[in-house]
Amino acid sequence: MNISLCILEIAVVLVGVALLLLDLWTKPQRKHLLGYLGAAGLGLVLVGSFFVPVTDVPQTAFGGMFVHDHLALFFKQLFLLATIGVLILSVEFAPRIESGISEFYTLSVFALSGMMFAASANNFVMVFVSLEVVTITFYILTSFMKNRMQSLEAGVKYLILGALSSAFLVYGIALVYGISGSMAFSDIAAKSELTLESNIFKLGILFVLAGLGFKIAAFPYQIWTPDVYQGAPTPATAFLAIGSKATGFVLILRVLYSAVPELALSWEHLFMAMAALTILYGNLCALPQRNLKRLLGYSSIANAGYLMLGIAALSPSGSTAILYYLGGYLFTILTAFTVITLVSRSAGNEDISSLAGLNERSPFLAFALTLSMVSLAGIPPLAGFFGKFLLVRAVIEQASSYSAYYLLAGVAVVGVAISIYYYFGVIRAIYWSKETPDTSPITTSGPIRFTLLAGLVGMLYLGIMPDRVLKIAELAAASLQY
Amino acid sequence: MQVGLEHYLVVSALLFSIGLLGVVMRRNLILIYMSLELMLNAANLALVAFSRFNDNLDGQLMVFFIITVAASEVAVGLALIVALFRRRQTTNVEDLATLKL
Repeated sequence: MNISLCILEIAVVLVGVALLLLDLWTKPQRKHLLGYLGAAGLGLVLVGSFFVPVTDVPQTAFGGMFVHDHLALFFKQLFLLATIGVLILSVEFAPRIESGISEFYTLSVFALSGMMFAASANNFVMVFVSLEVVTITFYILTSFMKNRMQSLEAGVKYLILGALSSAFLVYGIALVYGISGSMAFSDIAAKSELTLESNIFKLGILFVLAGLGFKIAAFPYQIWTPDVYQGAPTPATAFLAIGSKATGFVLILRVLYSAVPELALSWEHLFMAMAALTILYGNLCALPQRNLKRLLGYSSIANAGYLMLGIAALSPSGSTAILYYLGGYLFTILTAFTVITLVSRSAGNEDISSLAGLNERSPFLAFALTLSMVSLAGIPPLAGFFGKFLLVRAVIEQASSYSAYYLLAGVAVVGVAISIYYYFGVIRAIYWSKETPDTSPITTSGPIRFTLLAGLVGMLYLGIMPDRVLKIAELAAASLQY
Repeated sequence: MQVGLEHYLVVSALLFSIGLLGVVMRRNLILIYMSLELMLNAANLALVAFSRFNDNLDGQLMVFFIITVAASEVAVGLALIVALFRRRQTTNVEDLATLKL
């Protein structure tokens, strides 16, 4: 067994424990600054992750449960980046959390460790445990403002539906295990001629996909998304949007391509229908929204739909597109939620109308939010455009063998067209709103400016110079067997 | 009568369905939570039965993890429900309606 393979996870857990201990010796009025310390620690881990050796042949630890390959490393770096952004954002949010801010940081770091283990999962036991580490910490993060009814309500809704989805996941795992006699992905894949015949096995995989579909907020498991996004503390919402969604996608990719490759190829209709319905549902329901976080909740459903296109394509280029899109989505969402946190500090709510006059109050914030909305809408030359282009191209590539893929690509384009309307509603509120109730300038701290700048640079870089990151994504996607 | 794998599986499927029905039909958070535990235990029963008839211990190992995770889920869940009860003096799901369009 090779324990050095999970050195990054060990480092992350150590950062979490260190934060928990430092909390004991920190004065209450300085506790919110621990977030910067956590972000710095994770930054070191992120730098270290670039020096972790990866071989083209996957290495395994813990009896094959844990796999280390390019795909795992790609997602780990993505999760680390996301958590650093979320921690900086939480420091900004700290005054609005009545007590236990250092626990908020610690739990975020522990959730990160769960996500990183999920990226390396190669066994259904590992899938379950890592997913539950993430989910249970998110129950707490969502309901952290325990004196605010909205936050509690969001937490309870997430709790009930999340527990329901894990019950399905577990039952699915039980059925899969029963027929194949093993929990390891490689053993299950080796028994494909036995399992392909069995309807119980297929039901099991369907249940597992239901459990994972909940995490990515794909139709028909998206019901919780708007409520939880709206009620949760903004940093937790940002973390849900990036971390939780990416965890779901890495696990779906692993399960489909490592455990049941033959079965996945025969289910293209299911994935196509899910992708199309998710895109349409998310975009249509977002149209009448007046609350920014709720709007981004529906937009997150729509984005899960775009990402599902890459799954429906069932090809290496589809998986590459998913990885690339998640990278762009990370920068976009972090920028958007950072601006929302700053604006809602003075307004007290997250209504779109509270953006009125943002251009006069802080041109930089207005520019950052505009750019992230433009990227989400998929307009060139930003990351969101190139990601969507790759996803649609992966779908069109498959259309030569099966023409229904043209229809799917058409649905995606229609979805993008609808989404332009509501994203530009936000931009209109920033620049052309009639009423300006509040014209006091918004102050930003150094680390927040750093996050915003990193987000803007990331969006532009991924949109204009995609070659380098695309190569990394291709290499990562090649770790999956097709 | 010989008790075989299918008997265990039928009981497990029944437990899972009863739990699911409870989650959908019940209006009290505590009872919904109990039904969710029932669903997890249905999966446990299936895993143990499969483990016995497959002649390997992977399934039983999974059961230990499920029990542990379920325990921590209950700890978090009940704490949340208590916090909610303190605010609203109710555990009825129909009172959870502040987050609407």
